[in-house]
Amino acid sequence: MSHAIGDALPPFTIESVSPEAMKQWAVFLADPNPIHLDVEVVKAKGLGDRVINQGPVNVAYMMNMLMRAFPGGRIKTMDSRFLDNVYGGDRAVVTGRITMIEGNIVTCEFSLDVDGRGTVNSGTATVEI
Amino acid sequence: MSDLDDLPPAPDAAGTSLDGDKVFTITAEENAALCRSTGVEPAADGSAHPIYYYIATQVAMGKTVAGVCEACEFDVEDGPMMGSSGVRLDAPLRVGESYKVTGEILSLVRKRSRKLGVMDVLTYRLRLHLLDGMQVLETDNVWVLPRKEFAA
Repeated sequence: MSHAIGDALPPFTIESVSPEAMKQWAVFLADPNPIHLDVEVVKAKGLGDRVINQGPVNVAYMMNMLMRAFPGGRIKTMDSRFLDNVYGGDRAVVTGRITMIEGNIVTCEFSLDVDGRGTVNSGTATVEI
Repeated sequence: MSDLDDLPPAPDAAGTSLDGDKVFTITAEENAALCRSTGVEPAADGSAHPIYYYIATQVAMGKTVAGVCEACEFDVEDGPMMGSSGVRLDAPLRVGESYKVTGEILSLVRKRSRKLGVMDVLTYRLRLHLLDGMQVLETDNVWVLPRKEFAA
């Protein structure tokens, strides 16, 4: 497959961010922060009315977009910025594009957007293809 | 004159060791569950989801999340927030492989923001190693610690 600077990468979509997955990630991360598990805690802290996705899950969505865009490729570097929360039930879409190609190293920029609130995560990565 | 001159300095947390003594093993069962929880199937070639860079280093570092906050004289109940995360992977992470973690707090810097008020910006670095010592990745994470006690 050929790639060019400026190419858009195929989007990766989560139709509805899962509160059940947040319970799994509390175990994966050994971090039982209740803002990811109990909507009453989220409300009490004034952070909204839905449970909040763990930040690394959002990074995983962005990695999924990269891995699908470059089958067999390997992420070598990645920088992610956390701009806002992703909530249970959000529809989340990762989009990206190629910004540089040097030999077999492709540099990309990407963002994670949720319906109604725009970009909540963004970043850059290099992928060895 | 800085707009922080009326505040005490951030705690001196830089240099705090985050070296871990736990061994973290990526199991096939957990990797499969993790992949599916993010909308993909696990890889067939034995590689683990690369987000294990974050999970393995957090779980096997020498302090819990609450412990890292405590080193910064911050109560985890006050809500640390992720600011950014960066990783440089030297090798793929593998299902069935075991790893150890070294690391340290790099800096804790007090700032004032319009949105959050006074906050401390924590930067820490973790490295993931095979059990023979070979480093497979290095990650820098930035957390924002809102200092509610200094709210106007």
